[in-house]
Amino acid sequence: MFRLYLNIIVFALLTSFLQAQPSVYQIDKGSVYFVSEAPLEIIEARSKDLRGAIDPEKRTFAFAVKMRSFQGFNSPLQREHFNENYMESHRHPEATFSGKIIESIDFSEEGVYEIRAKGVLKLHGVEQERIIKSTIVAGPDSLSIRSNFTILLEEHDISIPRIVYQKIAEEIKVQVTAELTR
Amino acid sequence: MNCRSCHTIITSLLLSILSTAQVPHYTFHEIGEAHQRAQFTMVYQTTDGFLWFGSDQGLFQYDGFSFKPYLVPDSLSNNEVSAIYEDARGGLWVGYQDGAIFHAGSSRQLKPWIIEEGWPKVPVTAFREGDDQVFWFSTYGEGIYYYQNQHLYNINTDDGLLGDDIYTMIKVDKNQMWVGTDGGISICALKNGKKTLEHITREEGLPDDIVRTMLPDSQGNLWVGTYDRGFCYLDVQTRDVHVPVAPWPYGPVSSLEIFDGREVWVGTEAEGVLRYCLQDSSLQILEREDQRRGSKIHDLHKDQEGNIWVLDNMEGIRSANRRFEFIKKTLQNLQAVLVDHGGQLWLGTQRGLFTLEKEDANQTIFKPHLEGTPLNIISLFEDQFQNLWIGTFGNGLFCYHPSSQQLKQFTEKDGLTNSSILSIDGVNGKVWLATLGGVTEIDSEENILLQNQLATKNYNLEGGLGTNFIYKVFVDSQGRTWFGTDGKGISVLENGTIINYTVAADSLPIRAVYSITEDHRGHIWFSTAKEGLYEFDGKQFLPLGLEHGLRNLSISSLITDSKGNILIIHPSGIDLLDPKTRHLIYFDEAVGISDIDPHLNVVCQGTPGDIWIGARNGVMRYSVLYEALQTTPKVQLRGLSVFLAPVDFQEKNQFAYNENNLIFDYVGLWYTDPASVKYKYILQGFDLDWIESRDQQVTYSNLPPGDYAFKLTTVGNIASEKADYVYEFKVKRPFWQQWWFIIPVVLGGSLLIFWFIQQRERRIQRETLLKKEKVESQFEALKSQINPHFLFNSFNTLITIIEENPEVAVAYVEKLSDFYRSIIQYRKKDVIALQEEIELVNHYAFLLEKRYGSNLSLVIHAETDTINGLVAPLTLQILVENAIKHNVISKSKPLNIDIAIEKAFIKVSNNLQKKWTTVPSTGFGLQSIVNRYALLTDKKVKIEETETAFNVWVPLIKNEKL
Repeated sequence: MFRLYLNIIVFALLTSFLQAQPSVYQIDKGSVYFVSEAPLEIIEARSKDLRGAIDPEKRTFAFAVKMRSFQGFNSPLQREHFNENYMESHRHPEATFSGKIIESIDFSEEGVYEIRAKGVLKLHGVEQERIIKSTIVAGPDSLSIRSNFTILLEEHDISIPRIVYQKIAEEIKVQVTAELTR
Repeated sequence: MNCRSCHTIITSLLLSILSTAQVPHYTFHEIGEAHQRAQFTMVYQTTDGFLWFGSDQGLFQYDGFSFKPYLVPDSLSNNEVSAIYEDARGGLWVGYQDGAIFHAGSSRQLKPWIIEEGWPKVPVTAFREGDDQVFWFSTYGEGIYYYQNQHLYNINTDDGLLGDDIYTMIKVDKNQMWVGTDGGISICALKNGKKTLEHITREEGLPDDIVRTMLPDSQGNLWVGTYDRGFCYLDVQTRDVHVPVAPWPYGPVSSLEIFDGREVWVGTEAEGVLRYCLQDSSLQILEREDQRRGSKIHDLHKDQEGNIWVLDNMEGIRSANRRFEFIKKTLQNLQAVLVDHGGQLWLGTQRGLFTLEKEDANQTIFKPHLEGTPLNIISLFEDQFQNLWIGTFGNGLFCYHPSSQQLKQFTEKDGLTNSSILSIDGVNGKVWLATLGGVTEIDSEENILLQNQLATKNYNLEGGLGTNFIYKVFVDSQGRTWFGTDGKGISVLENGTIINYTVAADSLPIRAVYSITEDHRGHIWFSTAKEGLYEFDGKQFLPLGLEHGLRNLSISSLITDSKGNILIIHPSGIDLLDPKTRHLIYFDEAVGISDIDPHLNVVCQGTPGDIWIGARNGVMRYSVLYEALQTTPKVQLRGLSVFLAPVDFQEKNQFAYNENNLIFDYVGLWYTDPASVKYKYILQGFDLDWIESRDQQVTYSNLPPGDYAFKLTTVGNIASEKADYVYEFKVKRPFWQQWWFIIPVVLGGSLLIFWFIQQRERRIQRETLLKKEKVESQFEALKSQINPHFLFNSFNTLITIIEENPEVAVAYVEKLSDFYRSIIQYRKKDVIALQEEIELVNHYAFLLEKRYGSNLSLVIHAETDTINGLVAPLTLQILVENAIKHNVISKSKPLNIDIAIEKAFIKVSNNLQKKWTTVPSTGFGLQSIVNRYALLTDKKVKIEETETAFNVWVPLIKNEKL
């Protein structure tokens, strides 16, 4: 039920951008990379399946990534654990971030902008309000985004069994890169 | 013009006259050439006492003397300060116009605050620390932010905030942040991690939605300054809003400050500083000088000493001490002051009686009274019936009822002792006049002006007073009347009798007494002409003079303020005395008190908390500040250098033995009068006594190792030997003076020496023993070998063979000679080779064989030749000789001597067949061998005697050299 609701929201956002607003930028190529640097193990994974859009006029944005699209990890079993035990991807298949850009910047002017996106980060079904700093390179009809931020597992109710504690970091570093066009 | 008319309407509504007249005395502070043009927009005081100023050229720390810049790198910020804040741990936070945020710990090193979410892009306007480790800051353009669990969160109009431009943010209770926006006040809070917002806008009663500044007071009110409609206050609990002044023509309110919860200072952008008094709802414009009129105020700040700091758009930083205010362009030569029941100030001069009247908000005038009557007024008093008692010099007493304008004169004819009345005081229907002819006691009545006859009672020399010249009369809280006399001490009238005190406890005479007051404990304090001040606690007189910190003995007036402190007024200024602790605070030029040169007792109590002081050059008002204020300079160590290199003294208090050249930089913050601060310090463990100095630095070079305490205080603090600041530190001993080094070294050294001596002793002992043994053995060997018996036997043997076999005889003699040569050759040596010994024994054996023939067999096992080893010389020879000496040798009982090697021993054995008659023996032979071997080796000589055999094992000494 919940998942359905979420899907509708993201879909609605994306489609509304698509249809009603020709000025909306959409992701062509986007990737999400994360790394967990625990004392005993470093786990990395990347998804090239980032979807999203930015409406420069309303300064709103929405991004989503499917949890099962993450590749990498140190073993196939680890990937399975990631999906089954921690992210519970069957119940929460997607992570989303949507909200509003704090700065009012005219992206039609080419240049490099440091912006902060204030929005709701939904991961593991838990919503957290976040401010994420990003660098946007605005080109003609295109935007290139790069941002680094951290996620505290505790904030998203992702509990780690005691034994695995040494292998998974409390704080996960995330890097998002995306190319958008309109 | 509309504005102007509003202005006059308001001021005409104001009730009080007194509080509108006097203005603070501002001191201007030198900023220094380099930053002369800086526009200072904010001032903040940290708990360590330092004032911090924010400007468009950076942050400055001010110590009363100079402004020290605290600049951040240009690459990170433009240095335009927009917010200053100190958190609960003493950390300093600085926000800039470009959104940069810097933080400084106790060492005051500004470092950028690095957060994942980055700094805002707009000015930071305020910081506040919430509870539960949430740190808040507001911005002008992006709403407010809070930092929690290493993440930054935002609240802006999207969340329901009334505006994104935040002017001010304060913490009202717990985690509630009140922010002033363009749309009113938003109250932000976090409940279970969720943002909650409440609003107070014009609908709730705010006079204006644009809230520029907010200030909570001690009574649970929040004072709010708005853009258009002045200021208001609201009850934090009930949210009831009160607007004291409306309409408001003075421009935007930029800053508010409160004294004692009853006096609000309002910084405006159009009319400078205004002052609102809660008690009488009066509003006063304080900017009187044309040059400052209409200045735009950026910030107001009350410091810990009760000084108000004003920052405006004009050049310079100014401050004023709130305790003292002055009426400029005033009457000269005041001789008496009085504030009547209505708060009206009356002034007595040589030229008559005046009141202070206000024309409008900016102008006051002195209005003359009783102009037709020539009055040289030296004392004023108001009785309970609102009659004014006017004491003149030479013209007696005038009673005047201002509302009915009735006036009546009383002189000696009416029963007064004298017509020069220096002081008047009274209580409960009695009034006493201190005159140059004694004291007159008068029953005052309501209709005294209608009476022809005064009910008087006079006290003078005859009536028990010491003299007829009385300077001062004072009625204390117990109804006793005290008189200050000219030369005859202090007298008290109690229940109709007079007691004169002319001698203090330590037999010091009390002569002229000019002024008298009473503290809140009922102690009487009085000033003398030359001996300073005395405190009379009912039993004894305790002096307070120059040595106790008083600055001047020519005290003209004493008066106790409503807080219980005593003002001591003298030509140098005013000393404020705390009667309990006897602590004094000095006030003089720095607060505007200069050249006052006052007449005696020209002081009076004004409206509660105020005291008016008349000087030759004007009138000043002293106001009590009830709130807890700092009364002594705040002293502290500001820097510490070791060999000119600064060290962080907050962290470090242990120094190595060679870090012993220390420079202490200290400061006593006293913004009221920075130049007056005089220090007193002692380095305990080095200095023998406290050292007084005006310097802010002291150098100690070449400190020996030890524990030290640098103690600092200021002079004038009566509780003197008590330090206000202590820095304890230690200069460590060098490692070679540390116990953990000395003890093992000494122990080890002595052990080594002990061992050495012992070894040496042992060696010497062994050597001497060996020498002795050797000498003895040589002697014995010689003795035994030259034993005549042996010689006799040898010769006998020789005789028998010489004829039969001359060749053998020659060989015999040769062997004998070889034997003796060997003995002589070896006797001096400690050891000889085994082979040599064997050879010697072989020579000996040859000789014996000739004598005993086959009755004796001496077998030396061949392998002995091959063994490398040493023996003591003659060892084997002595053992063989012993065997021959002690045993029977015959054909039926042949003696068999066997010499063989057994491991590391040489075994000499023979079959035992003891002679019945024992040969006289010294027993030396065997014993000598045992002794010698004990010195030569650890192995012992073993001797074994069984029924049939006698065995001796002699250890072989290893031949180490060969």
